[in-house]
Amino acid sequence: MNARPNSWHSTTSRLILIYGSLFVVWGAVLVGVIQWETTSYLNKVIDQMLQQRMHYIASTEPSRLATTVDNAAAIDPHGIMSVGLFDKDHQPVAGNIDHLPTSLLRDGQVHLLRHGLPRPDRDAERVRARGLATTLPNGDILVIAKDISTIDGIGAIIRRALLWGISLTIIPGLLGGFLLRRGPERRIRELQEATDPIRQGDLSKRLPVSRRGDELDQLAGIVNTMLGEIERLMNEVKGVSDNIAHDLRTPLTRLRARLYRTQQQLEGEPEAALVDSCIVDIDEVLTRFRALLRVSELEDRHRAACFDNVDVGQVLRQVHEFYAPVAEDRGQAFDLDIQPLQPVRADAHLLFEALANLVGNAIKFTPAGGKVSLRASMDKRGPRVDVIDSGPGIPSGERDAVTRRFYRGDNSRTTGGTGLGLSIVSAIVRLHGYALDIGETGSNGARLTVYCYALGPDDKVGTCLTRSVPEVTPAIV
Amino acid sequence: MSQVLVIEDDETTAREIVAELSAHGMHAEWVANGRDGLAHATQRDYDLITLDRMLPGMDGIDVVAELRRAGRDTPVLMISALSDVDERVRGLRAGGDDYLTKPFAPDEMAARAEVLLRRRQPQAAVVQRLRVADLELDLVSHVAYRGGQPLTLLPTEYRLLEFLMRNSGQVLTRTMIFETVWGFHFDPGTNVIDVHIARLRRKIDGAGQPALIHTVRGTGYMIAAANETAPVVS
Repeated sequence: MNARPNSWHSTTSRLILIYGSLFVVWGAVLVGVIQWETTSYLNKVIDQMLQQRMHYIASTEPSRLATTVDNAAAIDPHGIMSVGLFDKDHQPVAGNIDHLPTSLLRDGQVHLLRHGLPRPDRDAERVRARGLATTLPNGDILVIAKDISTIDGIGAIIRRALLWGISLTIIPGLLGGFLLRRGPERRIRELQEATDPIRQGDLSKRLPVSRRGDELDQLAGIVNTMLGEIERLMNEVKGVSDNIAHDLRTPLTRLRARLYRTQQQLEGEPEAALVDSCIVDIDEVLTRFRALLRVSELEDRHRAACFDNVDVGQVLRQVHEFYAPVAEDRGQAFDLDIQPLQPVRADAHLLFEALANLVGNAIKFTPAGGKVSLRASMDKRGPRVDVIDSGPGIPSGERDAVTRRFYRGDNSRTTGGTGLGLSIVSAIVRLHGYALDIGETGSNGARLTVYCYALGPDDKVGTCLTRSVPEVTPAIV
Repeated sequence: MSQVLVIEDDETTAREIVAELSAHGMHAEWVANGRDGLAHATQRDYDLITLDRMLPGMDGIDVVAELRRAGRDTPVLMISALSDVDERVRGLRAGGDDYLTKPFAPDEMAARAEVLLRRRQPQAAVVQRLRVADLELDLVSHVAYRGGQPLTLLPTEYRLLEFLMRNSGQVLTRTMIFETVWGFHFDPGTNVIDVHIARLRRKIDGAGQPALIHTVRGTGYMIAAANETAPVVS
């Protein structure tokens, strides 16, 4: 009945995700700083190298400058360090730079070349480069640039190192987190399973507590203390009515016996009628006491000694056969519709008792000439039984209350009965782990449904009358 | 006069049982605990034993189980405050013949006692036909006749008539009828049994025919001719 917790909503999972995210962000920032520092340092080194090379070439005698530039270019066939000499009209004079980079300021400072430089050894593929240009005294322009794709490569190496580092940290972290999460999850499941019988009404059960004494154990201990107190109070409340029934049972039985003997002695006398009516009244009281004790007995019963595979259809046929003459006497149509059903684990006697109570109520509260239907069909996980009538129905405000002992709704105050029928039904339904739901038909009649299986958390029906179903059953015309 | 042993620890309840059985023409003897009860039951030949389920010294279940082990087949009516089906099954499996739940009406207890006593009477080897006045029930063909004319009965009506006729002249309570004919052990709490009896009565006691099914005020029903108290077995 409990929803299984979503693994990814667990505290451990959230902590792992938060910690993992922080780790990734921190790793990225750390690597970013390292990469930025490394790149800055290498750029500085390159800048100094370029400055020194510029200073060396620019200080060459003008008559030998073109030769020096060509020699410098010749010793670097890959174009890693490019040198170019251009005349006033920006035409190349010497070196291995074909075009004067127009965007490069001729201020003697090293700049990043906006369009890079073509690498002769890579089919003139343009690579990122830093360079500087200066205007010589004769008006020529000397340009020196250096391919800095090596620095980018180092950055890529650092980024790859980050990815590997994160992968090698995060993956074991996630695995470890998953393994760590299993322990608390298993304990949560155990706690959840332990709550099932408690939610079914067995307040004698307690949540498991381990020896660890951790937060879960402390919480379970608090809940167990609460359960103990609730059980004590419930037993006290229930005990009051049970004790009244027990204590009054013997004197009432004696009174009944004496009245019966008086009735035998007064046979034919005028006072006999008065004694008869007294016996009827006493019998009604005894019937209510028996019903009250029956409810207590069913609520206290946790054994399933008489449980067996039961054909719900067969039980329904018996209930229908039992009540058909009563409905007929009241001029009511009483139909039976049983679809193929799978057997259920149940106590056939108790199931008959519960369904007989529901049908008896339907017939009792449906006016003469009305209709009562007894239907059974396969639901999602098992058989469902619907008892539908064309009577006044049960007002939605009373649906939670009708299973309380002695509760009488507005429509039932003037009818006979113990006021305990639905309490007995509810107790039997709970004993089986089934669910009972009260709804209405399209014509405002009552629809009482017994789901012969435990409802799941997604089933949109009330369990044991906790809420009603808004769905509308076809009206009985 | 039938000899009945009442094994009951509560003196007031025992007195009521003894008084009611005496009023029905039986001689009842009271024992207040299980051990003495078992001793009496094995040493003397009683026609019936009423046995409380919860007794000091020896539980009622143990008493009846010992009694059966001793080879005594005396009918035992178990009387218990435990009405749970499991308890009833335990009592009957241990050797009880019937099970009555407290609080009980004394006439209900007496009716059950009388049915058990009747069951003990020697029967013909094979009963094929029951008769009450001009009403006959053929147990082989499952056909009922009134005045020689066949009656159309539904299966439940047949079982109901058979139970009444097997105990003709004997008062049967609504609870006894419900337990025997339908096989369930709870209080239906309505007039359903009365309705079933009324339907059977309309078929059995036709217009102009003397009534055979009688209502016993405050107790239940009985089938009997005016001059007949036991079924004729043929």
